[in-house]
Amino acid sequence: MCKSDNIYLPNLATIEAIVDETPDVRTLRLVFQDEQVRENFSFRAGQFAEYSSFGFGESTFCIASAPTRKGYIECCFRSVGRVTESLRRLEVGDTVGVRGPYGNSFPIEEFYGKSLVFIAGGIALPPLRTVIWNCLDLRDKFKDITIVYGARSEADLVYKHELKEWQERDDVRLVKCVDPGGAGPDFDGKVGFVPTVLEEAAPSAENTIALVCGPPIMIKFTLPVLERLGFTDDNIYTTLENRMKCGVGKCGRCNVGNVYVCKDGPVFTARQVKAMSQEF
Amino acid sequence: MPQIITEQNLRNLIDLLVKEAKLVVGPKLSGSVVLYEPLTAGSDLTLDALPRRSSKELFFPICEDILSYKRENGAMKVSDMDRSKFPEAVLIGAPPCDAGSPAILDAVMSWDYKDEFYLERRRKSTIVGIACTKGDDACFCRAVGLAPDAEAGSDLFLTPLKDGSYACKAVTEKGQALVAAHQNLFAEGAGAEPKPFVDQAVEKLDLVKIKKWLEEHFEDPLWEKIADICVGCGACAFICPACHCFDINDEGSTDDGVRRKHWDACGFAKFTNHASGHNPRDVQNKRYRNRIMHKFKYYDDKFGKTLCTGCGRCIRACPVGIDIAEILEQINSK
Repeated sequence: MCKSDNIYLPNLATIEAIVDETPDVRTLRLVFQDEQVRENFSFRAGQFAEYSSFGFGESTFCIASAPTRKGYIECCFRSVGRVTESLRRLEVGDTVGVRGPYGNSFPIEEFYGKSLVFIAGGIALPPLRTVIWNCLDLRDKFKDITIVYGARSEADLVYKHELKEWQERDDVRLVKCVDPGGAGPDFDGKVGFVPTVLEEAAPSAENTIALVCGPPIMIKFTLPVLERLGFTDDNIYTTLENRMKCGVGKCGRCNVGNVYVCKDGPVFTARQVKAMSQEF
Repeated sequence: MPQIITEQNLRNLIDLLVKEAKLVVGPKLSGSVVLYEPLTAGSDLTLDALPRRSSKELFFPICEDILSYKRENGAMKVSDMDRSKFPEAVLIGAPPCDAGSPAILDAVMSWDYKDEFYLERRRKSTIVGIACTKGDDACFCRAVGLAPDAEAGSDLFLTPLKDGSYACKAVTEKGQALVAAHQNLFAEGAGAEPKPFVDQAVEKLDLVKIKKWLEEHFEDPLWEKIADICVGCGACAFICPACHCFDINDEGSTDDGVRRKHWDACGFAKFTNHASGHNPRDVQNKRYRNRIMHKFKYYDDKFGKTLCTGCGRCIRACPVGIDIAEILEQINSK
């Protein structure tokens, strides 16, 4: 199957584990069924794939696990439509299709020797989680690592088990937050919107790369904060999460101006984003 | 020496190609309209009307299976489609606005990842184009750099002559091979004078100027003024020889079915809708703007080609009278 020249043909993968992150967000751990594919599959942090639930079709998600963790990949999705709801109904042992990896990636080698600030909102943590674990697995190559992560409410925070792990590490600074009104009585993070919490946390911009992922409104208000903190547009990276279908530059769906997110992205610097037509 | 084929021999050629088990597609009266349809005999060919829909679907069907899946003994099995079964095809009687479109679409379909469904059909097809003597007020091929006698995209190009025969020019090796294989139907000679081509009122547009204007006027009152009346029906895209947006969906049960690629349109409201509910092109004029930008800027940026052949079908089909040629002329005159 993988030897075919049919670019739409997926590899088959078995769901090895399922984690319910929130009431409507689920992580699937997938293992390729074909031994050769399992051994040869490689990707870079930031790349995405097309995941299929047979009988329903395909959905696009970033590969949420780290490329440094071999033998499996993970995707994390919110159940919002026909395909994602069908993926959610699948159980451990069931089969899904995976096409990819597609798109560009975060230039992690260029970040060696620098500090990193990850800023994520809600369900947008998965595209950064792949980089976070990639970098934590190569911890010696980076200076300070700060993670600012927020969601609407405590219940909406994804990867809660990993947030705890990052919180407990002494080589990571985690600042987690929820929107006003979203905190439970025992919440041990901050209350406030991500841009505000980021400004209070005030990570140094010196020799630092910022990686931002979240809803467009969060990104819109986060970029000026980063600017005030001293980050330049070349040192801020984000991923655009446009709707895609083919993933390979044919179906005409994901363009922002003349940029095809599936081929030219999904990873862009703030400078590149600002140069685009404002249609995302 | 130039070659000539009589109309009868052109129809005889179709008969022979059908006998050779080739898929022969050409303009044919279907009910009250002329459409590109499989021809079963030379007498099926209609040469006096522009088909309602473009010939694009010979290479890029409205809907096609791209894989099948089946659960066997509990295990899912995915199978590729057998593209070797795609028939050898001849598209015959396509005017330049249709014959020229695959030459444009080849760029996106063969760029980096190769869409072998489209490309295999292209490899197995020969296009017999014909100079256009039947256009109407909506035609604007000259405006976008084609012409009623443009050979671009044709393998064999026919020019209707006043005596009812056709001057033939083999443009590519495929065209030469078609003539060589049926040499007895062609005669050498200059033939009669050509029939007059369509007299289009439009002049060639300055596509470089239009592209520059588009680059500089992403936000312009023009889009709201003109494009807010678009109802997003998608007729323009579905009838266009060059539009290539598509969707992919499954048909069948969770145990047995096919995955299909099928046409889509950037004018549809949900085309870019994110799972979050955020829609980057949330109002109709943004969607129409994207249509114009894709055709006259983005495709050119990427592939150096204009994604429009000036066939005028979108103008004829638009239920609210949006005239793309008029919009381009407006931009051209700014």
